[in-house]
Amino acid sequence: MSTAAPTTQTTQQTDLRGLDLALIALPVAALPHVWHQPPWITALVVLAIATRAWLLATGRAAPSLAVMSVLAVIAGGLTFAQFGTVFGQEAGTALLLVMIAFKLLETRNRRDIVIALFLGYFVVVTTYFFDQSILIAAYSLVATALLTAALIQVHAGRFIPRPQLARQAGAMLLHALPFMLILFFVFPRIEGPLWGDPQREQSARTGLSGELNPGDIANLLQDESTALRVEFDDEVPALRAQYWRALVMTDFDGRRWSADADRRVIQPPTTGNDGRRIRYTATLEPTRARYLPVLDYPSTLPADAELRANHQVLRDRRITSRIQYSAEADLVTPPGAGEAALDPQERGRALHLPPSSAPRARAEVALWRATHGDDDRAIIQEALRRFGAEPYRYTLQPPRLEDDTTDQFLFETQAGYCEHYASAFAVLMRAAGIPTRVVTGYQGGAWQTRGEYLRLRNADAHAWNEVWLDGEGWIRVDPTAAIAPERIEQGLPGLASDTGEPIPGFLRRGEGLSWLQRARFGLEDWGDFVRFRWESWVLAFDPERQRELFARLGLDPRDWRSILIALGVGFGSLALIVVSWIWLRRPRQRRSPADRLLQRLSRRIARHDRRLARAPHEPVDAWARRVGQARPDLAEPLTAFAGVYNRQRFAPLTPEQRADELGRLRTLLQQVPRGKPPAAQPGPARA
Amino acid sequence: MRPDSVTQAGPSRSRSARLRDDAIRWITRRHSDDGEQARMGRDRIYILPTRAGYTLLGIILVMLLGSINYSNNMAFLLTFLLVGIGHNAMWYTHRNLLGLQVSTLPVPPVFAGQPIVLPVRLTETAGRAREALTLRIGHRATAPFAVPDRGTQTARLELAGLARGVYRLPRQRLDTRYPLGILEAWSWLTLNPEIVVYPAPVDPGQTTGGSGEEDAPSRDRREGEAPDQIRPYRPGDPPGRIVWKAFARSGKLHVREASSGQGDRLWLEWEAMPASDTETRLSMLCHQVLAAHAEGRAFGLRLPDQTLDPAQGPAHRDHCLQALARFRTDVIELVS
Repeated sequence: MSTAAPTTQTTQQTDLRGLDLALIALPVAALPHVWHQPPWITALVVLAIATRAWLLATGRAAPSLAVMSVLAVIAGGLTFAQFGTVFGQEAGTALLLVMIAFKLLETRNRRDIVIALFLGYFVVVTTYFFDQSILIAAYSLVATALLTAALIQVHAGRFIPRPQLARQAGAMLLHALPFMLILFFVFPRIEGPLWGDPQREQSARTGLSGELNPGDIANLLQDESTALRVEFDDEVPALRAQYWRALVMTDFDGRRWSADADRRVIQPPTTGNDGRRIRYTATLEPTRARYLPVLDYPSTLPADAELRANHQVLRDRRITSRIQYSAEADLVTPPGAGEAALDPQERGRALHLPPSSAPRARAEVALWRATHGDDDRAIIQEALRRFGAEPYRYTLQPPRLEDDTTDQFLFETQAGYCEHYASAFAVLMRAAGIPTRVVTGYQGGAWQTRGEYLRLRNADAHAWNEVWLDGEGWIRVDPTAAIAPERIEQGLPGLASDTGEPIPGFLRRGEGLSWLQRARFGLEDWGDFVRFRWESWVLAFDPERQRELFARLGLDPRDWRSILIALGVGFGSLALIVVSWIWLRRPRQRRSPADRLLQRLSRRIARHDRRLARAPHEPVDAWARRVGQARPDLAEPLTAFAGVYNRQRFAPLTPEQRADELGRLRTLLQQVPRGKPPAAQPGPARA
Repeated sequence: MRPDSVTQAGPSRSRSARLRDDAIRWITRRHSDDGEQARMGRDRIYILPTRAGYTLLGIILVMLLGSINYSNNMAFLLTFLLVGIGHNAMWYTHRNLLGLQVSTLPVPPVFAGQPIVLPVRLTETAGRAREALTLRIGHRATAPFAVPDRGTQTARLELAGLARGVYRLPRQRLDTRYPLGILEAWSWLTLNPEIVVYPAPVDPGQTTGGSGEEDAPSRDRREGEAPDQIRPYRPGDPPGRIVWKAFARSGKLHVREASSGQGDRLWLEWEAMPASDTETRLSMLCHQVLAAHAEGRAFGLRLPDQTLDPAQGPAHRDHCLQALARFRTDVIELVS
């Protein structure tokens, strides 16, 4: 078969084959940026690409170089005007998109298309500045496949049917996956940025604030995004026992609590008295702060974190990407347990109240003191009783507090959530001379049956108190438990049964849900499970995890010889797999029709007597004799079969003769009766 | 007179030129003389990145730096996916050439100055279609062509016209950048079909300095012979005898018939050509051969060192033209 002869090439440079695909693939690659770029960028890119598509469809030439230069300068200027720079994540991405659009617009030869497509890969990577979800991962695989398909079409020199092109691009991606995986795990990871401060560029993330100002975290409580996920090694503590400690606040200015800047590092306490420890691994979303939420009370900590004197756990650097850490908690032994007295300086701080603040609260506490004398516990109970009994309400939408926040809350509005109660409680205690501090962190969360992990959302942020009792240490008191025990017992959703409180929809997950809502939550749990696995297995891989992985193989990623060994093992096994795959797929000799008939005959005979089946090595005529001796009734067709089989096998025959012989074999096969199952056979003679 | 492409390898002056010559000699020695066909084995396929390949490498490096700087695992994944794709492209590109069977078909002779078309047949036996192959000699290249899965394709490479003579081709290059254009795999071929270039026909009657129109060929015409007669075309008449001028005028086909059948014998003589230099004489003889053949006459050719007895028909014409092409010349090796 000889097809049309290609003629000598004349103008290969003007070959724009594949441009149409590039005009599809590049917008697909750029699509996720629409949500992160100013609208004029999108408009400009769409306009440029649409213009090029129109020029291509109508067979017109690309705009001249002069026009393009003017356009490029204008676009650069606009980008600079928008961002004040052309570097950095957002401005750089904007410039890249505009440049690609213009490159496509001016495309006049194959090289231009190729450059635009290469930059398209870059566009896909820049998507990850903004979004690292598994959906984006799947989407970028599609975009990468399209870009690759366009590259293939550009270099094919002829139109390739789209299904074939799709197969080829898909195969290229598939074959590259093993490389990707090996390099991902083996390529030596190093810590931290090489230049600049990438965190500053990242858009603000939610997390616990370093300050507590009653009313502040209200929007955090509306935030249903995940803050922390926890897997427990064995024992899962009860929900109400789980206080995830993050920040400790001792300093109060009358309105605002601020996190301690305590620089004293202490050793984590050794094993608690009863030795019961909860071991867990937490995956923390980036907070841009240094605190690690740990289960109260922290005992064993990750290597890159330290315990401060106020029992706040800080990492040695800010948490700018999702991290995983393992730690242990001792549920029962509070900080300072067994110490006779608090350090005087610290005691002073923990008792400090601005002189003129909360006069009504102080007067109230003075009455309590008069009643209970030195009994600190009784004072504490008095305060909690007050929150539980009076018309205090737990609400996520409290009235605004203006003048003296404590007095206003305690005596006027009497409605608030954890922050209000923790703050007011601390003021009451300090007024009574009991050293008290505020602790913020997370409490509650939702147990995910699928995947067996605890999921804490930003909405599960909580604030509680610790009071100092000599000899007992810092005892946790949660005033919110007094007003809304179900908040503590069941987490925020427990409040759903409360009054007509408008609680965020995602929190209402208890009883009385329609099947539709249940399905929605079920789906959401599934989604979170997939996200969690993606995040903990893929996104959380960092130098620390790499060291662990290498250590398990007895290697060290900081040693180049280890890296070489790992690469060698990785690619060696890959090569082995490829070679064996090729070997397994090598063309095999197919069984001839006569052999298939022989096999059928053998099976048929075996149904008479299993032991009469032909052994693979047994010559056909020897087998026929053996069967003939055992079953004289079958001897005739079998002997004939063996004769014909050997003739067609070894004698030189024309195709017609061979077909004749095959027909004869078929007839002989039919002459052998189909045996009944051996059990029904009345004991045939055995050889 | 000779086109530029036929230059002899001059003494190489610069060091790099010498190096290059050495490399070429080594390559040529490695694949000395494929004859009429060659198979693309692993031992003769070379592969190197192209400029686009280095560009992509640069882009991948920038992506890697970005991944490290932002500790972005998804960026790492995509970067390494591209590394994998780039690596596998090596395999794909190499496989696009591997196992192809390449053979030359006879090169149809041309007249001096006419473009030469080199037909090369590619046969695919491995069961995978080959895309975007290019055959080159020097700066001449075919358009990219494909070879179907278990099929054949004939590539035709057009070369510049040459002066009269017999030539051997310089080495050919079969290359491909498929599928991504980031790598080029190529193989050197030394297929050597003989290329025969006839002299360009020159009508001796139109040259100045000739000694007269009808004197040039010495016609052995017998006395009383009538001029050629024209009669209507009958199926089977040789196309060379069709009177095209008459056809243009009347729209009907006529043929010129020699008045006395095979009677007249024509001798085309080297000595009788109205020119002094060899090439012009050969060109004139070429014209005469063609004219005599077109008239359907028997003719003989007398060259200083060779005489071809009178005969007629296409085979005889080709024989004579071959003799003219090979007149006092050795096979010329072309240098690309």
